[in-house]
Amino acid sequence: MPGAEERDDAALLRDVANGAEDALAALYDRHAGWLTVRLTRRCSVPDVVDQAVQDTFLALWREAGSYRGGGDVAAYIWGIGIRRLIDAIRREGRTTRWLPWRAAEPQVVVSAEDQVLLGVEHGRLGQALAGLSPELRGAIEATVLDGLTTGEAAVLLGVAEGTVKSRCYRARQALRAALAQPQGGPGTPAPRRQAWGTP
Amino acid sequence: MTVNAGTVAVRAEGLSRRYGSVRALREVDLTLGRGITGVLGPNGAGKTTLLSVLATVGKPDAGRVRVFGLDPGDRAERVEIRRRLGYLPQELGYHRHFTVAAFLDYVAVLKEITDRRRRTEEVARVLAVTSLEHLAGKRIRTLSGGTRQRLGIAQALLGGPELLILDEPAAGLDPEQRLRLRELLSNMPGDPVIVMSTHQPDDVAAVCQRVVVLLHGQARFTGTPAELAATATGHVWTAGQRDQRAHLSWRGGDNRWRHTGDHRPAGAETVVPTVEDGYLLLSHRPSVR
Amino acid sequence: MTSPFPDSPGAPPPPAGSGHTTEDLLSRYATGAIDGLSAWSVEAHLMACARCRAALSSYVDARRLARNRSMILVRTAIPAGGRVRRLLRRCGIPDHVVSLLAATPSLRPSWILAVMGVLALVVGETALTSHGWSGHGSSGAPWAKDYLAQWTLVPYLLVAPLLALAGVAAAFMPMFDPSYQLTVAAPFSGFALLLVRTTSALSAALIPTVCAGLLLPGPRWLPAALLLPSLALCAFALAAVTIVGPIAGAVSSGVLWAMPAVLLVVTAIENRSPLEIVQWRGQAACAALLLAATVVFFLRHDRIESGPDRFGIRRMR
Repeated sequence: MPGAEERDDAALLRDVANGAEDALAALYDRHAGWLTVRLTRRCSVPDVVDQAVQDTFLALWREAGSYRGGGDVAAYIWGIGIRRLIDAIRREGRTTRWLPWRAAEPQVVVSAEDQVLLGVEHGRLGQALAGLSPELRGAIEATVLDGLTTGEAAVLLGVAEGTVKSRCYRARQALRAALAQPQGGPGTPAPRRQAWGTP
Repeated sequence: MTVNAGTVAVRAEGLSRRYGSVRALREVDLTLGRGITGVLGPNGAGKTTLLSVLATVGKPDAGRVRVFGLDPGDRAERVEIRRRLGYLPQELGYHRHFTVAAFLDYVAVLKEITDRRRRTEEVARVLAVTSLEHLAGKRIRTLSGGTRQRLGIAQALLGGPELLILDEPAAGLDPEQRLRLRELLSNMPGDPVIVMSTHQPDDVAAVCQRVVVLLHGQARFTGTPAELAATATGHVWTAGQRDQRAHLSWRGGDNRWRHTGDHRPAGAETVVPTVEDGYLLLSHRPSVR
Repeated sequence: MTSPFPDSPGAPPPPAGSGHTTEDLLSRYATGAIDGLSAWSVEAHLMACARCRAALSSYVDARRLARNRSMILVRTAIPAGGRVRRLLRRCGIPDHVVSLLAATPSLRPSWILAVMGVLALVVGETALTSHGWSGHGSSGAPWAKDYLAQWTLVPYLLVAPLLALAGVAAAFMPMFDPSYQLTVAAPFSGFALLLVRTTSALSAALIPTVCAGLLLPGPRWLPAALLLPSLALCAFALAAVTIVGPIAGAVSSGVLWAMPAVLLVVTAIENRSPLEIVQWRGQAACAALLLAATVVFFLRHDRIESGPDRFGIRRMR
């Protein structure tokens, strides 16, 4: 039997479905790090993130059989992880007073080099997104990027569901407005259709 | 009440207990402080009875016991003692269909750890201390005897007890496991007061700070292992041939006979006694009463 | 590390030797020193790049990772009981009680199967004999007056409350709890533990018993009529335990039920129905017994706490 390092994620997941704890441990060693970091960006309370991470791998243990092999294992894990985070926030929210969950977003300007790397500069959509306020961007991130329902996004952002809906609406309006503006000078490349951002 | 160097955790005076016509304990006095105390004696000496009294599981017919200053005879204080206690009985039965982690979870509930998160943390902690993590999901019926003993110690450690009562923890262990047990006992997290019973003197010599020798229900010796060995000074000698009057003789690898007994011939070459010698001599001497 | 991020098609490859820049981005992402938009792009990239994912692990405290890891492995090792546990928890039963129930002998599949087996035997035997009776041409009288047919119900009458008693006895008799000494030496209230086990044992026994009773030919009220005797027997057993100890308590309770039934059979009188045991006078007697036993039990429940060698009779000096 190949060592854990050589088995790919899908093979590990199959082994987990067959009840191999070492496969679960191997998956944990591979994925727990980035999952923790990514969840921390949505909820800055370490205790809650720890619970979410544990619940995620427990869910993997119980439901690895339901992974249909389509799409990336990392994306599958993220899908489970973000929902376990929301459950954990719901449970915490019942007993503790509402605290600022999200890490405050710094007003850091990305260097020109990094912009090239990220391709952000290339998208008018990117610029339009950058022009949104953090709250509207947060709503878009939760509903579009993370694929949450408005109800789930409401738990994550710590606002009412109606607020999430109206923020999404305003964000879409703002994006449409920004994209509808006439093109800049000749040096500006044509806008690209990005994968996300479908209003 | 935390136990520091000077305080006494357990004080027992005049403990007596009989089962029918058998007197299991006769007026035993015992004091337990910091560190590991060994209760040494053959099978049937009353070790299990004594430890079960300390664990608030058995009741003496006569005598007085105070554990952490509390009286096990009083119901409320008894429960309080049990909160601070970890007990490994001599023949612990296990729910054999349970997994290791499930059994520990069950015992953790019995120790009043009701919060599930804390319980999981405690189980993970004792599994790590006893090096049983890789066996967490195994069913108990698939474990070997030595591993089951380790599980027994693990359950005793749940909740971080201040007093650990281990009844023959080394029974049935092979030599390597006995050594690992010594390692474990020396590195107990939280530094509890430990009392363990054994019929092997070298277990006592290895890790115990104090030893009580129990013979026929009586405490015949109380002191350090070195003192127990010292009681045999002058009673262990070597000779070229076998001496019939010695209690025990054997021929060593150097072809000389080593004798332990009460009648050393004058001029015989003495040997530094071990704990075993002290114990052996004690068991051959008639009891005071 | 030098390939462009896949979600920006057409982006020019970064200048050579800038592998460290991506690491720099990752580190700023990990420490939160990055604006939201760039973070999105990093995250999109993470979904496709295993190396960057692995690199992020070094930004999480190793002890935190290890602690979560061991917690996960412990939790996977405790069988969750899945649906049953969740159902019980939703009924408001606290989680630690559910853990205790997992260790109750009378809730184990083997025990429940045994109970069902006994019931199947009883029902089968009753069905056979009642068919036999009607095959021999019964008197044709209505059921209530057909005493002969009613005698076929005796096995069920005898067995049903005893099954409930057996379940409860398993809850308090030391021989059914392998780690009995731990239970005694633990601070958890022996009384609470007994109540949890008794309640669950009763439910586990009574439900199949009632169902089996409904399958029998006979009055529809029969299973319901056995509830009170079952409860009374169990209460008597618990009360007896506080006086004479577990084994004597269980045995005396069993005898208390079996004896009248056996007497009835032995002194079989043609025009008396065995169902009288559970009719009005019988029910009243059972209710009185239940009340008295419950009172005794609650008055003496502190005896349950004691050790295995003496079940509460002698006090410690």
